[in-house]
Amino acid sequence: MPDQYLLEMKGIEIQFPGVKALDNVDFFLKKGEIHSLLGENGAGKSTLIKCLTGVHHMDAGTILFDGKEIRPTSPQDAFSMGISTVYQEINLCPNLTVAENIFVGRQPMRHGGINWKEINRRAKELMSRFHMDIDVTRPLNHYSTAIQQMVSIARAVDIDAKVLILDEPTSSLDDNEVKLLFDVMNELKAEGMGIIFITHFLDQVFAVSDRLTILRNGTLVGTYDIHDITKLQLVTYMIGKDMDAIFNLKRADVAPDAPEMLKVENLGAPGQIENVNLSVKKGELVGFAGLLGSGRTETAELIFGAVPATEGTESVNGKQVAIKKPIDAIMSKLAFCPEDRKRDGIIGDLSIRENIALALQARRGFMKPISLQEQNEMADKYIKLLSIATPDAEKKIGELSGGNQQKVILARWMATQPDLLILDEPTRGIDVGAKAEIQRLMLEMCNDGVSVIFISSELDEVIRCSNRIIVLRDGKLVGEVNGEDCTQQMILNIIAEGTQEGVPA
Amino acid sequence: MPERLPEKRQSLASRLLKPQFVMVYATIGIFILIYIYGAVRYSSIGFTTLRTFINMFKDNAYYGISAVGMTMVLITGGIDLSVASVACLTGMIVAYGTTVLGYHPAVCMVVALVVGVGLGLLQGAAIHYLNVPPFITTLAGNFLARGVCSLISRESISISHPMIDALAGWKWYIKKYVDGEWVKIKPIAFINVNLFVFILMIVLGTIILHRTKFGRNIYAIGGNEQSAKLMGLPVGKTKILVYGFNGFCSVLAGLAYLLEVKSGWNLALNGGELEAISCAVIGGTLLTGGVGYMIGTLFGVLLKSVIPALITFNGSLLSWWGKIATGGLLALFIVIQRIVVTASERRKDAKVKT
Repeated sequence: MPDQYLLEMKGIEIQFPGVKALDNVDFFLKKGEIHSLLGENGAGKSTLIKCLTGVHHMDAGTILFDGKEIRPTSPQDAFSMGISTVYQEINLCPNLTVAENIFVGRQPMRHGGINWKEINRRAKELMSRFHMDIDVTRPLNHYSTAIQQMVSIARAVDIDAKVLILDEPTSSLDDNEVKLLFDVMNELKAEGMGIIFITHFLDQVFAVSDRLTILRNGTLVGTYDIHDITKLQLVTYMIGKDMDAIFNLKRADVAPDAPEMLKVENLGAPGQIENVNLSVKKGELVGFAGLLGSGRTETAELIFGAVPATEGTESVNGKQVAIKKPIDAIMSKLAFCPEDRKRDGIIGDLSIRENIALALQARRGFMKPISLQEQNEMADKYIKLLSIATPDAEKKIGELSGGNQQKVILARWMATQPDLLILDEPTRGIDVGAKAEIQRLMLEMCNDGVSVIFISSELDEVIRCSNRIIVLRDGKLVGEVNGEDCTQQMILNIIAEGTQEGVPA
Repeated sequence: MPERLPEKRQSLASRLLKPQFVMVYATIGIFILIYIYGAVRYSSIGFTTLRTFINMFKDNAYYGISAVGMTMVLITGGIDLSVASVACLTGMIVAYGTTVLGYHPAVCMVVALVVGVGLGLLQGAAIHYLNVPPFITTLAGNFLARGVCSLISRESISISHPMIDALAGWKWYIKKYVDGEWVKIKPIAFINVNLFVFILMIVLGTIILHRTKFGRNIYAIGGNEQSAKLMGLPVGKTKILVYGFNGFCSVLAGLAYLLEVKSGWNLALNGGELEAISCAVIGGTLLTGGVGYMIGTLFGVLLKSVIPALITFNGSLLSWWGKIATGGLLALFIVIQRIVVTASERRKDAKVKT
């Protein structure tokens, strides 16, 4: 019975220059359900959503909403029909108050002017419905990302939205905040709203969805009831390959007598992080574990000179070096992929080729430009090696998916042939397949004699890859565990206790 | 609903202490400090009289009028370098039209208005549709308008018409009530057309910014244009109208200047756009957009006038000390802005990490 569906997207096709982004995709959303949309990066999830919100225009297919055919021409248009979207990035204005962010564009008026009292009163009501008792007259940038996310949702549902699209809303939230979001989602569901939920976290899919639809390479794999599918099946469907082949990664072997690559003694920048002692052997993969804000990134930045150290010493390959700024580190054959690739990593308007050549050029100095031919060879080599999905090296990096951007950054540093590579959360926000590929690359590099410092919030991936794991807490290195016989519990204990238990450094 | 009462009482205090008002407070505070300094040193020679105070507004009224529109442009995150040239062009059109062509000044003013607003809208459209940075677009507008001024005439054209004389001569004397009748206060203080228009524009600007959707869209665009677009706000229309409104302010400023000098000259108000920008910035408007208040701009204008006033009262200092002081003030305010912005960013970071 087709009329039981709130939203029916049938035979959707979208053609982009050179690629068919969506090919005959069907998607059905019921009233009062949470429906997860899954797929690897580039599978077509965003394209499908953008088609529904009127950003992209379909080349074929129909959309029925409440039984009537619609063809949204812009996000505004979709919004006015009752299709609201909350994006991964907070799309609100930081300078406006919480209340105004919810109501801007559709403020209640009184006596020909904006009725501020009404705005603030209704905003307060809405936020308290989401269990958030906050001062709605404060500017948005006064609040944490989680609260900002809730404000986006409040804005999205305050109109008579019938469909709510949540595009990776949880990627910057902690567990409690995610739980809160799920509560809100379930409440909205109970009110009869249809929710489309996009996420990379498979646990969350199983925690909250009723049904799920899987896309792969722009085609529909299938729609399943949540009880009819296991996690393993899900992942297999998503990547179209057997999981075992991917997850069967071999830790790098480090000879016990391998020379010391990096030695850091009492390094510190007072006020930020102090007394860092660390040694990394050639070809060793050292994982940094710790909670968000435990100083993992700061330690890496200190080693790389992004935060200038004012005390202590640093030696690379047995030679003491003074690293005061990143270029010194690059000269000493260190490399660093920062955590926030959008802000600190990619240069969105430059091509893949240019982005790859950047670091090598910096090391050579601007007097010795890398010839175009060399750049092309380099770009082609890494596009092939890292299987970066792009038609050619001249595509702007900003147009690639997250996983592919991360690979380009990796290529940038691999091109400098570093002795030590620091990777800060290289797998955040990218899908399972790309994650496994990044991990594989990391391990291959270690086998080639490159040392790697690997920072990640996901303990299991740190444990799976690292030879040695350093645990941080409150800006200090508090423990060290051997990778082979490490368990999540051991690391969690160290984080909780804050001391080195039994395992000598 | 009684449970809302206590919250209301609390919000008055917290409403006044919002971090986004810090810059405005700084401006008002510094103005008061300088004014008190002048009052203490020069009260014997009339610094504290109402006449001196009103003159502070009056002398820079045309910059003030322009700063009203400029504040809005800056809040959207844009900039308009064409304002002084458009104001100059206004003077040229009215002077040439009246004196040389013999039209009624009112007709010429309407023509100037159409030209000024039209150019503003055009610049806004270029910025929005062609994605040309505002700096470049309005720089081109600046050259264009200035060029047309020189095309009209390279000589100063004086203007003499009963209507202009009447407008320039209109005075509303400040009076006090003594012994059953209204008498002019001594020393004589009055409000002229320029000051009247300036205050009117500040009030109008405040209403637009805070009581209309259009005004709130201006803030939203300055906060994050991309978000504003995704929130479904009419970004293009708002930006174009803001530049159009700024064109309107430029024309008014040009007319105000015309009343002051009663002539049109192709090199008049050279560099005046920077005066308007600095009034807004000293008044707490962020050049990066998203933050700014008309009341701040009002005090920005006052602050820029109180310094020359002090120098005049001192009598022994050369007038360009005024420029130096204004420059120093501007630098100081930009530093304060940075500190305020950085502090709020840091606070947010701290919040995220906990």
